[in-house]
Amino acid sequence: MADSGATAQPKPSSSVKLVLLGEAAVGKSSLVMRFVNNDFQENKEPTIGAAFLTQKCNLPTRTIKFEIWDTAGQERFASLAPMYYRNAQAALVVYDITKPSSLIKAQHWVAELQRQASPGIVIALVGNKYDLASPSSGDSAEDADAAPAAEGENPEEEEGADARRVPTKTAKAYADEESLLFFETSAKTGMNVAEVFTAIANAIPETSLKGPRGVGGQTNLGRQEDNRVNLVGGRTEGPKEGCAC
Amino acid sequence: MDTLDGTEWDVLIVGTGLPQSLLALALSRSGKKILHIDENGYYGGTEAAFSLQEAEEWEKHIDEDVSAAAFSNISITKSESAVSETTPSLSFSRAYSLALSPQLIYARSTLLQYLVSSKVYRQLEFLAVGSWWVYSAESDNMDNGEPSISSESGPRHGRLLKVPNGREDVFQDQVLDFKAKRALMRFLRFITEYEEQMEMWEDHRTKAFPTFLSEQFKIPITLHAPLLALTLSPSVSSQTTTEYALPRIARHLRSIGLFGAGFGSVIPKWGGMSEITQVACRASAVGGGVYVLGKRLSCIDGPTSADNSEEETSGFRLRLNDGEAISAQHVVGELSRPPISSATCCKSITIVSSPLPPLFPPIAEDAPPPACAVVVFPSGSLPLDADEQAAELPPIYIFIHNSDAGECAAGQSVLYASTTLTGEKGFQLLKKAVRALLLSVDVTPAPNVLWTLQYEQHPRPLISLLALDPDERPLDLLTDLAFDDSVLDHVKGIWQQIMGDSAGDFLVFEDREANQGDDDE
Repeated sequence: MADSGATAQPKPSSSVKLVLLGEAAVGKSSLVMRFVNNDFQENKEPTIGAAFLTQKCNLPTRTIKFEIWDTAGQERFASLAPMYYRNAQAALVVYDITKPSSLIKAQHWVAELQRQASPGIVIALVGNKYDLASPSSGDSAEDADAAPAAEGENPEEEEGADARRVPTKTAKAYADEESLLFFETSAKTGMNVAEVFTAIANAIPETSLKGPRGVGGQTNLGRQEDNRVNLVGGRTEGPKEGCAC
Repeated sequence: MDTLDGTEWDVLIVGTGLPQSLLALALSRSGKKILHIDENGYYGGTEAAFSLQEAEEWEKHIDEDVSAAAFSNISITKSESAVSETTPSLSFSRAYSLALSPQLIYARSTLLQYLVSSKVYRQLEFLAVGSWWVYSAESDNMDNGEPSISSESGPRHGRLLKVPNGREDVFQDQVLDFKAKRALMRFLRFITEYEEQMEMWEDHRTKAFPTFLSEQFKIPITLHAPLLALTLSPSVSSQTTTEYALPRIARHLRSIGLFGAGFGSVIPKWGGMSEITQVACRASAVGGGVYVLGKRLSCIDGPTSADNSEEETSGFRLRLNDGEAISAQHVVGELSRPPISSATCCKSITIVSSPLPPLFPPIAEDAPPPACAVVVFPSGSLPLDADEQAAELPPIYIFIHNSDAGECAAGQSVLYASTTLTGEKGFQLLKKAVRALLLSVDVTPAPNVLWTLQYEQHPRPLISLLALDPDERPLDLLTDLAFDDSVLDHVKGIWQQIMGDSAGDFLVFEDREANQGDDDE
């Protein structure tokens, strides 16, 4: 195992596979668009198909290149996710703070990840659409609990400024119990978006980046692993005349 | 909204086995509307990889499903040895990713070329296949033999002899006498360009390969086994023909050194071909393909009505298992139901409590450490019963994957064994071979068998395009122990039919993401 820092290389860089999960319309793709392009589209169409994006995150001692797999649009068939979170090192489970049912769905995803995904996976629970909440609403757990939105679909029309239906406390308590990272974000304003990814990057254990034997570690695409066979190295002038037999 | 009822598709792909997944990958940038379904609750079809728990569910459920005729007689045995603090034991279920159809991929295989040109190799890791060993029943008495790795004392057991890795190895070999060496060198020179020397083997084409070796090259019988091993032939040696053996040995030797010194084939990490199927499906999903598991094509209602008569081939009206009616222009899958076929091979997957380091000597300087070793029991080397003619039994191949392959817990290894002897006898033979292998490897503490899965595998039809006049091609290329490039030719043919004139280059794509010029690769 090559020891980093021994030579004058810049910073060690590793790839981290991150999968995005959550109910439709909670803002998964918007979070990624904000993180990757620092961009937000107000009435974004539902994502068709799935998406793959990459973005770097610079930490003081290393660079993490996120490979972000968005299952967008296919949650309803629930068949894409297992293939996506296979060997993922991180998962972003998103709910909408104005829609309690989306937290329930997020909890299902967390349970499934804990059951099926790589044992060392870092899970972040993210309550999105913070911009729809009034500034102090997160703390006043009572009124949110007491007034369950009949059908949390278009709450802001009736309730005025504060559309929050999931108190910060509730989600935070759940996240603590399950040892998840927890953030409330707004893809619209950009609040906390970069912070989520930085926190995930910091939470990925060094060991799972170091080598292929790390728990749940995989696809360290940025680095040449000692025991990986390099298919595009110097010698590949031609598996051309391969003898097909 | 969760129903597929009434949806229309350009292509329906049925099953997520390797050929279907490669087709999905090939179509992933075509702009076609693709629905990809699998009747199982997991990806990979016959190439699937399972955790322990998934394997147990598979064992329980497969017998309920008659259509899953790819496997039969599945059973799992857990180590009966008492679990104490000191005895090694199984790790948690997900520490394992056990491949149902492990294959070697030769460095010259077009599969690797296509994985690179389609850019999906970035999501895959490949590991080197290191040493090849041939089992010899003779115990180790005249040992100066550095190729032997067994202990000198102990109970009577066979030994494993390392297959020379090319001409340099033969040259430096201490055991071979001069005459044998010269004969072998002549053969190795011949095989580098056997295609041009038809006159040397024309007469032997359909005859037994060992006869060819003796008559044409005077190669001593003792050296037949290692050469036969390189063919990965499923048959007894007398039925392995020269025309079958030569290209396969040539493929082996020509692949050595292509991706690094001293090895010629690779395995994908994390569960073999299953990993490739998932990466291919993922790429297709990113391109807009819709994936639904637990969904089966239950019947074909007929061609869609072509009233607007613009096109003749306007596709099919189809019904899925939940009664959803859909339509698709093209339908691809294992469509010709295989006749109830008898099994073609017995396989077993054994988890062993030792990393078996003697099987994994370093390949060469600068070469990556091997994650897979191959042990071959030549036909005749293991008698089944006293009265059984051992020579009549087919060879047994065992691929040993250490934990670097990501398929078992650290400190353990997985033995994938297969033989074309079927039924109870096949399973017995595999057990015997696994035991013989473990006895012949000198490690302390002695390796224990922790868990075994055994099953018979049946031939599968190749995938085909649904047409009104189905052409019957009951072919089976995927039970081969090395990936057969003709699978790709076949997939390419189907892809061309779907794409028509706008086909372009097969499996050649740009990276999805501009890599922002930071290429650290």
